[in-house]
Amino acid sequence: MRIEVDRHRCEGFGMCEEVAPDLYALDDDGNLQVHEGDLAPGVEARAASGARVCPVAALKLVST
Amino acid sequence: MTRKAPGIVIVGGSIAASTAADTIRLNGYEDDVTVLSDEDRSPYSRVPLSKGILRGTEAPAAAELPALDESIDIRLQARAVGLDTDRKVVQLADGETVPYRRLIVATGSRARRLAPPGLGGETVIRTMHDALELRTRLNRAHSVAVLGGGFLGMEIASSCRAMGLEVTLVDRDVPQRRLLGSWLSRFLYELAREAGVRIVRAPEGAHLAGSNRVEAIDTGSNRIEADVVITAAGDVPNVEWLNAAGPRPALEGAGVGGDVVSAKGLLIDGSCRVAQDVFACGDVTAGASFRGHERSPHWMNAVEQGRAAGLAVLDHATMPLRRAPYYWTDQFGVEIKLSGHAPADATPTIVAGSVEERSMLLQWHVEGRPIAAATVNHRIPLARLRRLAGTADTPAA
Repeated sequence: MRIEVDRHRCEGFGMCEEVAPDLYALDDDGNLQVHEGDLAPGVEARAASGARVCPVAALKLVST
Repeated sequence: MTRKAPGIVIVGGSIAASTAADTIRLNGYEDDVTVLSDEDRSPYSRVPLSKGILRGTEAPAAAELPALDESIDIRLQARAVGLDTDRKVVQLADGETVPYRRLIVATGSRARRLAPPGLGGETVIRTMHDALELRTRLNRAHSVAVLGGGFLGMEIASSCRAMGLEVTLVDRDVPQRRLLGSWLSRFLYELAREAGVRIVRAPEGAHLAGSNRVEAIDTGSNRIEADVVITAAGDVPNVEWLNAAGPRPALEGAGVGGDVVSAKGLLIDGSCRVAQDVFACGDVTAGASFRGHERSPHWMNAVEQGRAAGLAVLDHATMPLRRAPYYWTDQFGVEIKLSGHAPADATPTIVAGSVEERSMLLQWHVEGRPIAAATVNHRIPLARLRRLAGTADTPAA
């Protein structure tokens, strides 16, 4: 699984980062950077939690 | 056949309930987790309802929250109508009783309605159903009147202008002054007027009027008629069902010392506890603060409380709930995010950007200390916004 960001929807609220700061982070310009590529099985659940708290549902976990 | 021991039951089907369920599974609880939602669709975000959904630029599916783990039993159209804390069961509208070992109440709130008895057809937006129905009516309308100038009322006004409708908004005060302070609310007031919204101040209050259906807003000196009249006057916590079933449940809360079901909301302590084996999170709650118990019906609060309730229900230690709010609005072409409580009358410092650019980073001080910060079309990391607001957690070394 990997994280997919809908750039048109993301408004930089930063809720995902508060859940999983090692997978999601807003950079200095407030743009979301996410873990690139395949997620290790151990972090998938936390990645999903980070996606779930997005107020505009801009994040998805998709199969690689 | 042996009957399984009851597990954790969560009443509610929005972000607080969803976050609590997720937290419980993430922390290794393997027994049953049941979510009882009275809605007919799986959990979604209400944030786009007054914006993309109302305008029709966004499909309902886009607002859906990512699915919960499939081991969580989400029951839709399961409306709780009573709680018996002695027998430890939730009573559903269809007569079924659902037993629990521990319960999380996340029944949220509903739109406040202002129409007097006998006056039908009041329009509010709280659910996806409300938003879709209103969108259909707006497609046939020419004019809209909105009663209430909070975030929701102003977002509705903004969306309706974007749809080309004639919009009048009525409020007692400058819209959003209580939420954003005088300076920032005045900035948005000007944007709304430039966008063509007619804003009517009604310091003495206003009421809905009509012969038998809502047709107008009456301010006493002014009667504003419109094809569609929308009430956007805040929300009311859904607590009544807790008292509805027979004898009043013995909800004597930890640290509350009395009845925990109040008109303010369901009273919780700093770890989302309500009473023995009962926890709560989200818009239904009123959390302890130095001003007494108060509600904070915002997304971030629902997420933080959902997480805390999910940990507390497992007897895990919880982080202290944050007292400083973080919330946002998106209207008239500007995205605003605010942390802390913007003081009513102080003028903020413009740390970056300018009014002319419609892009700003703002910071409010009281007695030399930062107490709130906001961005206006200006993106920065959330941690930085919290630091500027003086609302960050104890900074790491």
